[in-house]
Amino acid sequence: MPITTTRRRLLAGSVATLALPAFARAQGAVKPRLTAISQWSAGSDGAAITALGKKFEEKGGVWQHSPVPGFTTEMMNKLRAQIMAGDPPACSQLKGPEIAAWSKIAPTVDLDAVVAAAGYEKVVAPDLAKLHKPGGKWIALPLQIYSTNMLFLSKRAMDKAKADKIPLTWADFNDLAEKMKSGGVAFPIANGGTRPDDGQKFEAALAGISPLAYRAAIMNLEKKALEGPEIKAAFAQVRKIADWMDPNVGAQHFSTNLKRFVDGDMGMMIMGGWAQGVLRNAGFKFEDFTIAPGPSDNGKPVFLLNADAFIFWQRKEPDLQAGQTLMAQLVMDPAIQTMYSQITGSIPVRTDVDLSGEGWSEGQRTTAAALKNAIASNQAVLSMAHNMAQENGMTAAMIDVITEYVKNKTIKPEQAATRLAEAVEGAR
Amino acid sequence: MSNAAAIRPGRPALPEWVRRLPEYLTIWVPLLLSAAHLVSFSLWTIWISFTPSTLIPVTGWVGLRNYTAVAASRNWQIAFDNLLLFGCAFVVLSAATGLILAILLDQRIRGENVLRSIFLYPLAVSFVVTGTVWSWLLNPGLGIQKLVHDLGWTSFRFDWLIDRDMAIWTIVIAAIWQSSGFAMALFLAGLRSVDADIIKAAQIDGAGPVRIYRRIILPSLWPITITVVVIQLQFAISTFDLVRALTNGGPGIATQLPALVVYDLMFQRSLLGRGAAAAVLMLLILLAVLLPYAAWRYLQRRRAAHA
Repeated sequence: MPITTTRRRLLAGSVATLALPAFARAQGAVKPRLTAISQWSAGSDGAAITALGKKFEEKGGVWQHSPVPGFTTEMMNKLRAQIMAGDPPACSQLKGPEIAAWSKIAPTVDLDAVVAAAGYEKVVAPDLAKLHKPGGKWIALPLQIYSTNMLFLSKRAMDKAKADKIPLTWADFNDLAEKMKSGGVAFPIANGGTRPDDGQKFEAALAGISPLAYRAAIMNLEKKALEGPEIKAAFAQVRKIADWMDPNVGAQHFSTNLKRFVDGDMGMMIMGGWAQGVLRNAGFKFEDFTIAPGPSDNGKPVFLLNADAFIFWQRKEPDLQAGQTLMAQLVMDPAIQTMYSQITGSIPVRTDVDLSGEGWSEGQRTTAAALKNAIASNQAVLSMAHNMAQENGMTAAMIDVITEYVKNKTIKPEQAATRLAEAVEGAR
Repeated sequence: MSNAAAIRPGRPALPEWVRRLPEYLTIWVPLLLSAAHLVSFSLWTIWISFTPSTLIPVTGWVGLRNYTAVAASRNWQIAFDNLLLFGCAFVVLSAATGLILAILLDQRIRGENVLRSIFLYPLAVSFVVTGTVWSWLLNPGLGIQKLVHDLGWTSFRFDWLIDRDMAIWTIVIAAIWQSSGFAMALFLAGLRSVDADIIKAAQIDGAGPVRIYRRIILPSLWPITITVVVIQLQFAISTFDLVRALTNGGPGIATQLPALVVYDLMFQRSLLGRGAAAAVLMLLILLAVLLPYAAWRYLQRRRAAHA
């Protein structure tokens, strides 16, 4: 009996000794730690998040970022697995309507206090803010904004076409493509052929033809708008774009063709602002290309909004909680947003960041101005191809129709419009 | 004492079951574990296919709604048509290629071992590698077409990879390249196991080599042919990595296959219920191939036992 007691005491004592440091950590100043997952692994995206991690470490935090390369959906598979295992990351990339959908399957962090302390709500576009507070509370923070319908013009291709005017409408765009073709540019369009790329061609066409129709058909899924004449016109424009592309493009990524684009072998590219980051990261200069808002038939810029964001998942560990607060403060910080956007080519979420200084490109200033104008004229809409307008299942159903149409030249615009309406019905 | 030691040198007698314990352990434990995994996960998938699960598995009952949604989708219909075409073309052509290679190798030629290794080698390559390599070879701007153009024959066209009607054939080509060596190995074993006495007897009777192959050797190969066909068919039905690397279902959605649809629904669209329904449909297609094969094997064994 006395022996047992001694043993028990010994055991209790050693447990206390072992537990003491952890207890002390929890009581005193914890070292903030952040477990994060995102799809940003390489290129300008990878460089930007690594820079963010450095800032996090400078503030005394422990940065544990696990990138999952590929499309956002690949990252989501890891996120799903972690949530189901009861071990979500403290913070993960997620955006658009997916924030609302995913917040239903696991508890998230209420960021209202941190956001209020930073006065962030005043400097975020209201439509965008809404996506990040699905239940009325901030649970996610937007990090950077892209427009998915920026028009990239190759300087050398413009020279070949003897053109210097930036096309404003789709008619201008089509004229310029013809001029490039006759001026010796082998392929006036430099886009790739991945699914989101094909989706972007369509959304740029439709929003440029009529932002109202885009809002009704793609964002609100109104049946009448989906069967409207604008959809057919948009498909007809997409066919023109497809015909000016290199037929061998297949399912290539747009970055495969960047060199041919800069060399003037290809002329124009309808791509998100991130292409600027990719071009710069590949060693090309600002003098090689021009960036302008995508064609808009009513003359006022249309902004197809895509915003990357971080969502914060509830964790019990005090160090992770401290890390979440620190991360939220960093993401809202104008200096951090400036640093991030200057690496990736995006524009900051904060509307009060001044882009006139050094480090910003003409393209970024144009994009920021386009966003301001588009919001004023109610022409800022959410991107379908990049999962901002609808959840994944609906987006994928739409892109099925679009990507098949881009690659199959025997499908008529009318047929494609009917199929799109059917696909939306099927995915509802 | 010394007598007993001579009969059982140095080893005490062990009961039969203890002596065979390692055998039982190596056979039954893995077998039961894998069967439990297979069965439990299959049942779980079947259950999920009747629930309204989307992002994560949830309980609930939606009846056959997931099945009707999958069956009505264009993706699945294209995938199913492609599977019929790909399955038939791939099985017939790879078996034929394998048989021809086996017959040629069977001529007691010099360097048979080297040639056999070369033809079997693609089987050792991962499907992703096969798909990627062929996607370069078949890309008109990079591969075979460009080579022939550069040689001066500029009217030559070989652009199946980007032609949505022909793209499925590029998968057939790559799959045959990969697995006809396997068919060859099986057929070669079959050819070598034909009784030499029968062949000698036929030769004495004055039969030429063509006639010997046609009337004696090939008919005796048909059990092996069935094995080859069934193995290749189940490979065809579950093809995934090859297509993903070669065309990724493109151009557009022209080369969708059922396994791609399942992956797409589950992991790209976050529609777990529909993905599970598609997976169960795939299982049914597999059973449609495997059950008749099992029945045939059973009948054969019974006939052999009675004979």
